[in-house]
Amino acid sequence: MSGFAGFALRRAVGAVLTLLALSVIVYVVFYATPGNVAQITCGPRCSPEQVHQVAQQLKLDDPLYLRYWHFLEGIVVGQDYSTGTSVAHCSAPCLGLSYQSDQQVMQIILTKLPVSLSLVFGAMVLWLLLGVGTGVLSAWRRGRFSERALTGVTLAGISTPVFVIGLVLMIVICGQLELLPFPEYVAFSDDPEQWAWGLLLPWVTLALGEAAYFARLTRASMLETLAEDHIRTFRAYGVSERSIIGRHALRGALAPIIALNANDFGSAVGGAVLIESLFGLPGIGQELVHAVNVVDLPVVVGMVLVIGFFVVLANAVADVLYAVADRRVVLT
Amino acid sequence: MRQPSVIARRVAAASVGLVLAAGAAACGPEDNDAKSSGGDSTPHKGGTLTVLNSSPQQDFDPARLYTSGGGNVPSLVFRTLTTRNRENGAAGAKVVPDLATDTGRPSKNATVWTYTLKKGLKYEDGTAITSADIKYGIERSFAPELSGGAPYLRDWLVGAADYQGPYKDKKGLSAIETPDSRTIVFHLNKSEGEFPYLATQTQTTPVPKAKDTGTKYEEHPVSSGPYKVVTNENDGERIVLARNTYWSASTDAERKAYPDKIDVRSGLDSSVINQRLSSSQGTDAAAVTTDTNLGPAELAKVTGDKELASRVGTGHFGYTNYIAFNPTVKPFDNVKVRQAISYAIDRSSVVNAAGGSALAEAATTFLPNQKSFGYEPYDLFPAGKTGNAAKAKELLAEAGYKNGLTITLTHSNAKDFETSPEIATAVQDALKKAGITVKLQGLEDNDYSDKIHNVKTEPGFFLAHWGADWPSGGPFLAPIFDGRQIVKDGSNFNTGLLNDKSVNAEIDAINKLTDLDAAAKRWGALDKKIGEQALTVPLFHPVYKRLYGKDIRNVVISDWTGVLDISQVAVK
Amino acid sequence: MSEALVATEAAGTGVEPVPGPSGARQFWRRLRTQRAALVAAAVVALLVLVALAAPLLTAIEGQDPTTYHPSLVDSARGGVPIGSFGGISGDHWLGVEPQTGRDLFARLVYGARVSLGVALAATTVQVLLGVVVGVAAALGNRWVDQLLSRITDIIVALPLMIMALALLAIVPGNFPRPVLVSLIIGFVAWGTIGKIARAATLTLKELDYVAAARLSGWGTWRIARRDLLPGLAAPVITYAALMVPANISIEAALSFLGVGVKPPTPSWGQMLSAANVWYQAAPQYLLLPAGALFVTVLALTVLGDGVRTALDPRAASRLRVGTGRKSENKAGKEGTA
Repeated sequence: MSGFAGFALRRAVGAVLTLLALSVIVYVVFYATPGNVAQITCGPRCSPEQVHQVAQQLKLDDPLYLRYWHFLEGIVVGQDYSTGTSVAHCSAPCLGLSYQSDQQVMQIILTKLPVSLSLVFGAMVLWLLLGVGTGVLSAWRRGRFSERALTGVTLAGISTPVFVIGLVLMIVICGQLELLPFPEYVAFSDDPEQWAWGLLLPWVTLALGEAAYFARLTRASMLETLAEDHIRTFRAYGVSERSIIGRHALRGALAPIIALNANDFGSAVGGAVLIESLFGLPGIGQELVHAVNVVDLPVVVGMVLVIGFFVVLANAVADVLYAVADRRVVLT
Repeated sequence: MRQPSVIARRVAAASVGLVLAAGAAACGPEDNDAKSSGGDSTPHKGGTLTVLNSSPQQDFDPARLYTSGGGNVPSLVFRTLTTRNRENGAAGAKVVPDLATDTGRPSKNATVWTYTLKKGLKYEDGTAITSADIKYGIERSFAPELSGGAPYLRDWLVGAADYQGPYKDKKGLSAIETPDSRTIVFHLNKSEGEFPYLATQTQTTPVPKAKDTGTKYEEHPVSSGPYKVVTNENDGERIVLARNTYWSASTDAERKAYPDKIDVRSGLDSSVINQRLSSSQGTDAAAVTTDTNLGPAELAKVTGDKELASRVGTGHFGYTNYIAFNPTVKPFDNVKVRQAISYAIDRSSVVNAAGGSALAEAATTFLPNQKSFGYEPYDLFPAGKTGNAAKAKELLAEAGYKNGLTITLTHSNAKDFETSPEIATAVQDALKKAGITVKLQGLEDNDYSDKIHNVKTEPGFFLAHWGADWPSGGPFLAPIFDGRQIVKDGSNFNTGLLNDKSVNAEIDAINKLTDLDAAAKRWGALDKKIGEQALTVPLFHPVYKRLYGKDIRNVVISDWTGVLDISQVAVK
Repeated sequence: MSEALVATEAAGTGVEPVPGPSGARQFWRRLRTQRAALVAAAVVALLVLVALAAPLLTAIEGQDPTTYHPSLVDSARGGVPIGSFGGISGDHWLGVEPQTGRDLFARLVYGARVSLGVALAATTVQVLLGVVVGVAAALGNRWVDQLLSRITDIIVALPLMIMALALLAIVPGNFPRPVLVSLIIGFVAWGTIGKIARAATLTLKELDYVAAARLSGWGTWRIARRDLLPGLAAPVITYAALMVPANISIEAALSFLGVGVKPPTPSWGQMLSAANVWYQAAPQYLLLPAGALFVTVLALTVLGDGVRTALDPRAASRLRVGTGRKSENKAGKEGTA
């Protein structure tokens, strides 16, 4: 168990360092992007005096290193801020306040995160079913119609941008055939059934864009396993092909599938920008693009950190699962 | 399942399209006749109106809103001293009283404006609305914490330029007096006959000081209108409004307030909004949008479908898209070059890029083509429909550019906007015939906005647009052409850097007029006079076309906003 | 990408080195025996040829990609092309673009230049960076490995779209956009290939002949060049075959967000992002770039598979053993028995 504790500790330290580096990169890059934040916040018609007042209000005149220091300080001890009429507290870990909306960044993230997680979780189930299914078929039944059709679908999935797939599916399925309601996010806690119906189309769209990678990975690792000596032995003993594929080859493919899945899950939490804006799902990605456009630095940094956190976490989980699936691996 | 194939629909569309295009040229909603002739068209109270929008109502604080005429959704919650007349077309461009008994009583030179509040006005909690609350509401719009509103109050009120709002400055604004709880008096630093228009903006909404929570006020602003906020989630992404029982129709002649509930859902993609409105299923049958126009692709589809076309509201908002010259940059310092470009422009390419003749009207005047602006049709450098290349070449030769001219057009890289690369490439094509080679300089949107509004970095030739803060020539011409409004160290809108004494004097003279019709005529004449200097090339005025659901009744579209007024809509 | 996945990617794609010049000949011989891969190679070659010959092809058609034809669109109906099938005619082989009336054939073939060019250039940058960093990490000492691996982690954790949006805003507007887009995609998205290269190198390092080379006193650089790089070819090429279409999609997504290649330069991604709302009113406008992209991806994927099989003889034998048609038939019989 001490081996695992050591692994967890090393991973945690690595994760914190990675996230710190991420925040520095984002701070510097966005500091360099054009756009007068105070003028954008105040509005185009604001006078120079007003813009100056707003800049003071948002502490934009402070040098970059000082602003970054305040940011780190907020994460550790929290931050007090004025609403004009009273003083409010943003408790640690405080990621600061949005320049545009004066809301606490943590609060914004907490309201958007369930949407993004719902989207990615559901899509994950679908891309696993479709991707792994196609992979198994293409390793097992090469050249059959069903295999070719599924491979075609997954390839169409990666070769067509999601904004095209999503819109066409929506127009046909929701608009013309009226088979599904237009996608909409309903919180799972409010109504699980509506939650699922509202997200079905975004799930399918996101899954179509991912499935091909899983199909290829599954196929490659199954072929790898099928070539191993013990499979030859099984064949020699007359074990049925179905059992070989199902029990042995697929199990061999499990670890890398888990790994790729964790990896994609992490990056999709913040990467599903296009799907979120197309379907109007108020998730992290959509908010992030908006924040980038109005140079809302605290929101951008906060959200990039959250996304980075999921990527790092997902990779660590993948390595643990990998070790569980394959005892030969030592966690380092 | 309604249509077997897309191609079949397009063939059918060819015949219907022509008929509808003719009808679409008229102002106001197209279905006026259809609705009055068939079925029960009288609006009834009740039901839920759904609003499908793309932009969330992030600012729901009356201090922070920048609206023309008080906005659409905000106007359901915020009553103002005056408001826009809720009628179709040109009649809707008039100012009418709202909280006040009249549109304001000016002093002789229009520097002092006095308003009296109606009797029996109440907030959603039943407490009385007082003139002090209106003063407080205006004062808090000066706080840097609540920035975002229009600049006029700061520019016009005596001693307001440096005021930082009631949070930092407890003394308040001395330019606003409240001698009693129903009277409010404004002291201006110059004559402003258009003050009644300004009083329609949400900054004149009463805010009870005891309920003010600063930057958090927008989560639940106190209602003075027919609806109050029940839900405001995710920073304005979902807003649900229910009836404010203390509002009385007897004090409010403008808002009809037919539905019992208003459900505003935002953050939707514009193509999704239009698809949902055209499908009109379930709650979408009682849905409208207050911020999403039909795009060209959708228009192509809608015009082929009689039922859909009957659910399109057409309106005009005072807005002009133009090319701006900076006359301090060569070769645009030469008026002949500016004139040559004005003659050369092929507006048909630009109009098509903006969505075609149904969504954009070619413009030859800077002022919008509406009566309330004092619109006087003129075409000083007639380019015809497709450009006058011969005349342009002649002028260029006179200016010393016999072998053609190469210039750079600066534009924004933001998509689907009137300063977009699509419009810029159309301008590039529109000048080609006259031997003018246009190079494109696309900037990231914030960069573009910074550069064109800074006198030090302003490019010579760029795409620009201007919209009306209220439907009059004042806020349309003064910020762009008044020499005293050139801002050297900040956001400047007088991009032509015009500082012409006679223009400045005429602006002052018109501002003294309190007869708004007389003022409008003179704004129109001034527009033509400025046009002679060829500091801009007007391109087009947009036309708004918006779908609404099957159950929507009582569609009113004024020339003030150009969009369906949701205070008039009924769903039963 | 996690270690686990990387290990499988590397292993699953075969890390056995392709020895010397005779290997190259063998490679071609093996590639030639695969019919599907040859067809795919022909399609890719044709696409590249079309892209290169774009000016010639449009000259034959008598059109160019930027001239507006306002008379060919119906202005009153949003600018939908006049005529059937999007205005297809002898002058405009594939019809015209809505709103502008620009020739679609010309835009499609010129778009191929930008899309393929950006995708290939970005992939090249990704592969170069990834292989250099990955190999250096695997061959360097513990600290070099730690440092480079953490940098790779950070790159993987950066959200691509967001960084692209920010970086494209910083760089001055007159920098050539296609080059910039390629560089940004290349520099922000090389993490995965870096991890694959590192894992594959670690595996190779332990192989007997590499160890022997080390023992006989060869320098690190010489070992990397002579023994490791050929061995890396299989996993890297296999993964790169999927990166090309992914990069085309990224370019399309950037266009969709308004920061891709700038008009009037056509690209498939830009055409797709402009065309998707026209799906109902002018379907061919959407179907043309979508179809072109699908064919490209399909051809590249099949070709990538073929290259891998040719590079890795084991894979070929595996295919015969495990899933050849014969054993499939056998499996079917067993199932029914």
